[in-house]
Amino acid sequence: MGRVSLRFVLGRVLAALPVLAGVVVLTFVLMRLLPADPAAFYATGPAMGPAEVEALRRQLGLDRTVAEQLLIYLRDLGTGNLGRSMVTGQPVTEDLALRLPASVELTIAGFLLALLVALPLGILAATRPDSAIDHLTRVIATTGVSMPTFVTGLVLIFVFYFLLGWAPDPTSRYDLFLPQSPRLTGFLTLDTLVDGNWEQFGAVAARLVLPAATMALFAIAPLARMTRASMLAALQGDFVRTARALGLSPAKVLLTYALRNALIPVVTMMGMVLSYMLGANVLVEKVFAWPGIGSYALDALVASDYAPVQGFVLVVAAIFVVLNLVVDLVYAAVDPRVGLG
Amino acid sequence: MKRRDFVRGGVLSIPAAYLAMQGIGPAAAQSRAETLRVLSEGVPNTFDPSGAGANRESNGFVWNVYDRLVRFSRYEVADGVYHYDYYNLEGEVAESWAWSDDGTRLTFRIKPGLVFHDGSPVTVEDVKWSLDRVVSMPASARQMSTGSMTSPDQFEIVDDRTVMAKFDRRDRFTVPNLAIIFPGIINSKLARQHATAADPWAGEWLKENTAAGGAYTVESFTPGQQIVFSRFDGWKGGPLPTLRRAIHQLVPASSSRAVAVERGDTDIAMGIPPQELAALEGKPGVRIASVPMRNAFQFIGMNNTLAPFDKRGVRLAIAHALPYEAMFNGVLRGRGRPLFGGTEWAPSTAQFPAPQPYVTDLDKARSYLAEAGMAGGFETTFTFNIADEAVVEPIAILIQEALAQIGITVAIEKVPNAQMGTMLTEKTIPFFFDVSSAWLNDPDYFFRIFYSGDWRWNYGSFKNAEMEQLLADVRFESDTAVYETKVRRIIEIAFAEAPVILLWQPSHDIPMSDTLTGYTYYFHRQVDYRVLNRV
Repeated sequence: MGRVSLRFVLGRVLAALPVLAGVVVLTFVLMRLLPADPAAFYATGPAMGPAEVEALRRQLGLDRTVAEQLLIYLRDLGTGNLGRSMVTGQPVTEDLALRLPASVELTIAGFLLALLVALPLGILAATRPDSAIDHLTRVIATTGVSMPTFVTGLVLIFVFYFLLGWAPDPTSRYDLFLPQSPRLTGFLTLDTLVDGNWEQFGAVAARLVLPAATMALFAIAPLARMTRASMLAALQGDFVRTARALGLSPAKVLLTYALRNALIPVVTMMGMVLSYMLGANVLVEKVFAWPGIGSYALDALVASDYAPVQGFVLVVAAIFVVLNLVVDLVYAAVDPRVGLG
Repeated sequence: MKRRDFVRGGVLSIPAAYLAMQGIGPAAAQSRAETLRVLSEGVPNTFDPSGAGANRESNGFVWNVYDRLVRFSRYEVADGVYHYDYYNLEGEVAESWAWSDDGTRLTFRIKPGLVFHDGSPVTVEDVKWSLDRVVSMPASARQMSTGSMTSPDQFEIVDDRTVMAKFDRRDRFTVPNLAIIFPGIINSKLARQHATAADPWAGEWLKENTAAGGAYTVESFTPGQQIVFSRFDGWKGGPLPTLRRAIHQLVPASSSRAVAVERGDTDIAMGIPPQELAALEGKPGVRIASVPMRNAFQFIGMNNTLAPFDKRGVRLAIAHALPYEAMFNGVLRGRGRPLFGGTEWAPSTAQFPAPQPYVTDLDKARSYLAEAGMAGGFETTFTFNIADEAVVEPIAILIQEALAQIGITVAIEKVPNAQMGTMLTEKTIPFFFDVSSAWLNDPDYFFRIFYSGDWRWNYGSFKNAEMEQLLADVRFESDTAVYETKVRRIIEIAFAEAPVILLWQPSHDIPMSDTLTGYTYYFHRQVDYRVLNRV
């Protein structure tokens, strides 16, 4: 086990602060470079003329200079206020708090599903290069990456909902006609379990399957390929030859010696895949009407709704920082040679 | 292959018998029968009847949750499907109303025994406060002024059941303006508790709360996701609705909304493009309510102040080069009422929008172009909103091909919604496609909004002295014959000048469960739960 000191964790968190500040300022300025005027867009009611547009611009504070607007935004940020969304009409913090659990729940489900398939496939492919299983891995990986997620999603909906009727309608996270469980975590699987609401839990789980599978199909490719490549290298290592020569069981050689040594690049890839899945799955969220943060940010971007986009980027950047930290900590856990002092 | 082509191809191949087997179980059906489920492109972003930046779904929200003094009646356009009747109003909160003979007084008598959702009575004070508010809120004030309502001083309480409004002269837009979204009757006792010195009309509070007395109340609301309405059993503004609950959900992908209605998992799917509608046609359990929208239109805009569209010949050349039939039948699949191919340059009726006397005739188009001194053609950019892509992209390509034949080179540009709005407001866009609708239906109102003024809605940035004069003349005209003569002249100017080219009035097509009847189209294009029934 590697050493992990509190100083290391604190140092990493502090080092991330300037990055986050940079992200905030950059997003803020970029949004204002877009060739769209939110005031003109929102003054769309009938009979709204230039005077009404101007009044709305003043009300939104857009008549001030960008520097002034930034200072106001930073001051609000200091009090935890991310502004208000014009698209939903709600404070951005509330919107994100409502939607982040939905994205995280879907991402974790998709990620676990991907790991469950990708790791065994990658290991098997590495132990039997050029065998049927190796080719199968290659086919699955290639199909997974080359099919855009919304196509995968639509195909799954078409087959499992429309043709076979096995999956529930892809329009919500739970069954609207069953009693709802009180919101504790926002993770509906957890909330329904805590509540003992088994029927709704079943409905929630069933509604999670197709979108999670869609996301998993995309994530399997990098994970399986990386596992295979890394395992191949490890299996050719001297220590594996030694272990085999000493007569250790094949399972022990494979899982304890080879896999553990092969895991570092796989963990790196897992971190990258996971953070990508969380922020960039707009299309899956759109196709399955999943109320996550990705589709929230996209809707806001199209509508030139500044505050939600800025809030989204900030939250996702913070998650990236935390994930990277976790990946480093996992390195230390899987590889005794890595010390984080 | 495009995503919706894929779904359509698949949908067409489903055996009907199989679908019939996939019915919902008896228990589910029981709870479903009293509940309406609507899948839509959005959910409300404000609850305020006069809210700034309100989206379309907010209009539907206010329609069902608030009452107004008066409402439009409706007429049947197909079996069990209705269109609102702009010219026939009935009382909602008002029992009756009357103009004084000199047209300076409009009195409303309030129905007795009406209550708000909190059980308190609907009083004349509430009516006065709501009217004061609607002429004072920035988002609604200018619309109300189109009905000569500009100041709270105009509204007076006469007695405990009568409210009066004062005018300089009778205005035929006053009463219809009281039937639109903005002048919802607000529970003033409740709302005023949340008013502040800086916000005397409780705008902040009413954004997220209701002080209403309409047929439905909010059971639950998840912003950006869904809203659940339940019937207010104390409603006396009309016959008690039969649907006890309505769930309105945001489902972003139109293909997902369409399959859910085909599988019977939802009752109504909003915003389904023509290609997907064609695939739903004739499916068991699904009917498509098709209503020609009398107040809406799709059009080709040209900025009349930017060269070369400042030349009448160029505009008319384009009007005669557009491939109308191919666009209307091929892309829109004939779903609507054509506004091309008319025969009269001098119209015999004062109806508008009406078919313009433009047909596809490339020789005529070339001669118009030559007349403008542009026989060699020119280059321009055609812009449309990405949100309308499903319909407009093929249209843009047809236009590009057609105009190439008369020497006009067109580059196609797609822009996001907000950018389109900005370009239209700032008048920086030369040549474009858009869709629009008027909230009031009189022809002169239409021209006042879309053919004059310095605002976004004057899509051609058109300025014609004679038309302005005629529009001013007919503003308060009460003699029908005089009115119609002048409006016919206005239409004639529009035909001759072609500041914008109206293409068609799209039909409002809503796929729904065939157990529903009473669906009514209103100018706001949202569902009125009050008049829907399940059979």
